[in-house]
Amino acid sequence: MKKRILAALLTLAMTAAMVTGCSTPSTGGDSGEGGGDSGAASGEKVFRYATNTEPTTLDPTKGQSIGDNEIQHAITEGLTRNTAGEVKPGIAEKWEISEDGLTYTFHLRDAKWSDGEPIKAADYEFSWKRLVDPETASPYAFIGDYLKNGYAIETGEKDPSELGVKAIDDKTLEVTLENPTSYFLSLIGSSGQYAPLRQDIVEEYGTDFAATADKNVYSGPFKMTKSENNEYIFEKNENYWDVDSIKLDRCELSYVEKPDTQLSMYEAGDLDYVMVPSAYVPDYKDKSEKFMNGNVDFCYINSQSENKVLQNKDFRLALNYAISRKEYNDLANTGIYEPFNGLVFPGLQAKGKTYGEAYEMKSYPIEGDQEQAKSHLDAAMKELNIASPGDIEIELTTTDAESSKKIAEVIQELWQKSLGIKVKIRQVTYAEIYGNVFPEHDFEVGYGGWGADYDDPYSYVELFKGDSSYNYSQFVNKDLDELLVATQKETDTDKRMDMLKEAEQLILDEGAFVPLQARNIFYMLDEDTTGINFYYCSLNIDWVYADVAQ
Amino acid sequence: MLKYVTKRVVAAILTVFALVTIVFFLVRLMPGEPFTSAKLTKEVAENMNSYYGFDKPILEQYFTYMGNLLHGNFGYSMKYTNKTVNYIIGQTFPFSADLGIRALCLAVSLGLVLGIIAARNRGKKLDFACVLIAIVGTSIPDFIMGALLQYFFGIKWGLLPVAKYLGIEYTILPACALAFYTLASVSRIMRSSMLEVTSQDYIKTARSKGLSELRITCKHQIRNAIMPVMTVLGPTVASVLTGTFVIEAIFAIPGMGKYYVESVNNNDYAMILGMTVFYGCFLVLCNLIVDILYGVADPRVRIGKR
Repeated sequence: MKKRILAALLTLAMTAAMVTGCSTPSTGGDSGEGGGDSGAASGEKVFRYATNTEPTTLDPTKGQSIGDNEIQHAITEGLTRNTAGEVKPGIAEKWEISEDGLTYTFHLRDAKWSDGEPIKAADYEFSWKRLVDPETASPYAFIGDYLKNGYAIETGEKDPSELGVKAIDDKTLEVTLENPTSYFLSLIGSSGQYAPLRQDIVEEYGTDFAATADKNVYSGPFKMTKSENNEYIFEKNENYWDVDSIKLDRCELSYVEKPDTQLSMYEAGDLDYVMVPSAYVPDYKDKSEKFMNGNVDFCYINSQSENKVLQNKDFRLALNYAISRKEYNDLANTGIYEPFNGLVFPGLQAKGKTYGEAYEMKSYPIEGDQEQAKSHLDAAMKELNIASPGDIEIELTTTDAESSKKIAEVIQELWQKSLGIKVKIRQVTYAEIYGNVFPEHDFEVGYGGWGADYDDPYSYVELFKGDSSYNYSQFVNKDLDELLVATQKETDTDKRMDMLKEAEQLILDEGAFVPLQARNIFYMLDEDTTGINFYYCSLNIDWVYADVAQ
Repeated sequence: MLKYVTKRVVAAILTVFALVTIVFFLVRLMPGEPFTSAKLTKEVAENMNSYYGFDKPILEQYFTYMGNLLHGNFGYSMKYTNKTVNYIIGQTFPFSADLGIRALCLAVSLGLVLGIIAARNRGKKLDFACVLIAIVGTSIPDFIMGALLQYFFGIKWGLLPVAKYLGIEYTILPACALAFYTLASVSRIMRSSMLEVTSQDYIKTARSKGLSELRITCKHQIRNAIMPVMTVLGPTVASVLTGTFVIEAIFAIPGMGKYYVESVNNNDYAMILGMTVFYGCFLVLCNLIVDILYGVADPRVRIGKR
């Protein structure tokens, strides 16, 4: 009896096992086997890594995240190629710049698309006009504002045909800028939005253009052969003009949402590169290396807030002096970031060295200064007729992300302890903070941050320009605005850099915001892999010139 | 029977229609905007809003959406700008469903077996063991279960792949992690239902007829005891097959799960609606099948509804 029951149970279990053993859905493409060491066995050089932000699009014009742009950097070729800040000729072999810095004439080399068609100057003209055309609705259209009439076209005041770009012939492209932009060559070498596009392909697929890897052609060192099921496969583009410099045969990018899972995959040998999740950094400090991704984090102060204390410069300075950024960083970020007391990321290029090396930082001390904080607070209270610091209450707005919450609590604690004021925390979603809270200035103090799209301090100081769309703080200072307008016209690059430094200093002296940290990214890289570059604007990892030891 | 089925189907369609309408208007009340990033300028946001037709009156938008929906068109995602919601569901659902079917087969078969064993050995050690498994299964959250399986089988012992979904060996860990909770709840329901049935008159009759214990269990007890399990299975099938956020994230499975959560965080209206409608239809369908199966399995249900 018992035996029969057992037999029946076993049969059931086996049936279940058979049913569950049915085949997995096809992963599409011919590279279904994905990872593993299959590549190494056949002598192929393969680089495997993962991202935790799913690429939002493969259309270069519509890219809107670092992740989107990292992909474009491998599959498209701009007029120039920017590798970790070093700008080299790309499809443009050489170029001339007019005296006033406004007109660039690019001379294109003989280069081909992945389907063998020649790359023409018209491909750039078409692409750039598409970028600023309101009909395209590119989330990054503003990056085309450097081009003459770019902004006017974006806002519908002018027609896309009036954009400052013109293909003189197949090999010559004339570009007119709105202002002399000293970083233009660097910008177009690292922004996918400035990649060339083939009009026939874009029109053939319409709204489906670049929806998948097969619905586009490629101008870059790699072509994409698969983009489904969270796997992005890049293969060497044999038609690339500089194919001899490309060592990799293939790159496999997996979208893996959880950083913990990425780490596990790296440990199991399924990835060659992994970013160490911040919570694990203390455990992996010895095994990992770091780079700075150009992100600086800070608190915006709404300087036209209804909360009058925030309109007071002394009070804003008190907030700044009160915080020991070192203590803050240890408490809020387990010490993995760099405590930072400026606005402009110090790794940017300036005068042939880095911005941090070129200029001395004159700001609130990293350890804070309680005496200065106290005296600024007293001055503010006297001016505003406030009897006790306990009567002051400010509200700190952050997103509901766990890390932001912790940061807000640390800042709250430090301010309350040092100044004796009350700090309230308000949490909103990410969609709210950038959808309403910041753009509509509906906050008192708000935690945010910035990473530049181009290698120039202007990207950071612009956050406090009176008429800037990013001026969430509603900071208005006539001297600063005049200075910033002047930097846009200045053609002497060293002089212009000094002016930008002056602007940063002015913003710091006014206590317009509360700087906190510059981000470090910790990563581990397989010892056989070399030639990986890291950059701090518009993209982070650049594996185009990577090599894998056999 | 036909009348019963027709009534159910009409109710199902009405349910889905109400669902779409309510969700369509509710998403607009969510705080925040669909196009948000630190870099987005006002001008660009306006262009994007008009590109997606958000500058039109809301009723017009509603009728346009319903019109498209009747053609089975969910529209373009606002986050993944050149992918349609249909494409994303088409790409991800097979993975979620595949994982779900594996997990369900495992959970239901083992769950029933455990429940039956426990009930037949009530009060003995075997019963205790089964109940223990059920308690552990319902109380350990799936993300811990998933992480534990991944750590031991994937990293420590290196027996199975850590993550991704590229072949049969990749499916074992996530399917087990996903199955555990359902397995536990099925076994608990089955056990109590079996015990309830044991004291019924028809079992006594069967026993007095001199039937063997095996026959009584298989023919009389299980058939009657399985009804409550069917009730739970309707919604369970729907939720397990359409993807689970946590397990898919841990094992990097390209399934649907993450889009439920992410679309809401991003205010991706088209995606939220698409996912809700898809899931809603699936749930209604599963419940419909369960309802019909009730009618088939138990004549009293059909008669009672008349």
